[in-house]
Amino acid sequence: MHFYLAGINNQNFLMRDKETGSWWQQITGKAIYGPLQGAALELVLSDELTFGEWRTEFPAGEVLAPVVKYTKEYDPNWEPDVAKLPVVISFPGTELKSRDVVIGLTVDGAARAYPWEAFAKQSPVLDRVSGTPLLLVLGPDGKSFRVFVSRVDGQDAEFFLQANTLQTNPTADVEKKSDATKQWTLIDTTTASQWNFQGCAISGPAQGKCLDRVPALKDYWFDWRNYHPETTIYKR
Amino acid sequence: MRIPQVTCMRAAAPNMPTLPNLHADSRRNISLWLWVGFSLCAVATVALFFIPAFIIRPFRYQAPRALVLAMSLRQRAPLGALIAALGCVFLAFALWRIVGRRRKGVIATVLVLVIFSAVMARLNYFEWMFHPIAGAQFLAQSGSKLDAKEMIMAIQFGGDARAYPISQMAYHHVLNDVVGGVPIAVTY
Repeated sequence: MHFYLAGINNQNFLMRDKETGSWWQQITGKAIYGPLQGAALELVLSDELTFGEWRTEFPAGEVLAPVVKYTKEYDPNWEPDVAKLPVVISFPGTELKSRDVVIGLTVDGAARAYPWEAFAKQSPVLDRVSGTPLLLVLGPDGKSFRVFVSRVDGQDAEFFLQANTLQTNPTADVEKKSDATKQWTLIDTTTASQWNFQGCAISGPAQGKCLDRVPALKDYWFDWRNYHPETTIYKR
Repeated sequence: MRIPQVTCMRAAAPNMPTLPNLHADSRRNISLWLWVGFSLCAVATVALFFIPAFIIRPFRYQAPRALVLAMSLRQRAPLGALIAALGCVFLAFALWRIVGRRRKGVIATVLVLVIFSAVMARLNYFEWMFHPIAGAQFLAQSGSKLDAKEMIMAIQFGGDARAYPISQMAYHHVLNDVVGGVPIAVTY
């Protein structure tokens, strides 16, 4: 099917498919109106990374080219600029502000939001949702993130960041940290193997093993909360 | 909305050429029905475009029921507005021959609005604000001018990895792509 932008629903866009004209909500991938109402698209595992991080992980990867005609429309400051836009829904009873960035994830129907700032300070974050042990990691660049099932060979595992490469300042220049970046490793407390940001053990007894990934979405609190009314908020 | 127009038409009647009473009555009747039909068609056409456009406007709260109304009207608008507008044009022709100059002005103004609505009901103005990518091109990493710190969305299927710079996706919003044989919709 082929989708096109068709409208906005409380700042989460609506798209329609050319084949049936049904209306789909961006965040859920569900058809909310039209012939396919009730159907859902399959969520594909994706990452939000810096170009620098992705480049080293996938040297053969391809990048979407800018469309020359619209390069003037691209906003290099999209992040602060979008954050300034007004919001139309808010959840005053909750402890987060509408434009607070969260990592949102769902495990077996239970949703949880991780406030970005707390996550970035504490990374790696170990948590448990619906009984599943989770590992949330901020990348070596201080901007990329990934979420894994914190389990090795069926056993719950704990991880810590190797102390000598601990990133404490996510805003520091990436170039200057290049030495630290190269050594960035996670250690699991069970086997003391070394793991990279892709969730794979690069040395030690677990070498060659990779953690299962958990789909997670970087979103504004108001949007995450709007579509996950039952969501809990992670607290240290 | 219809009733005032009917009243106006009657008030205008004395200016018309004098005819025998019987003719004048049936003529009045016909023109009344023409006005009613014209007004209905005009309201339908304009509503089919403007109601969804008003509900689905950015930076405004969309109530769930209003959104359903907007989607259901928009779903029917391309064909519905065309039929209603054609009805309007047809009735306008019929009215044109029997009304005075002032009424012609009203008809013409309404027709402009009707035609505008019928055309807009068939066009996707969201894609005027945020143009879609027609035939996406991809670059090797060496060919990309992106800064190392720029955020991208990344996916991987089999051996195929692709990155979608967020600065670009935040404008285009939707991209239909095929990676490793899998059709995907990339959204931001």
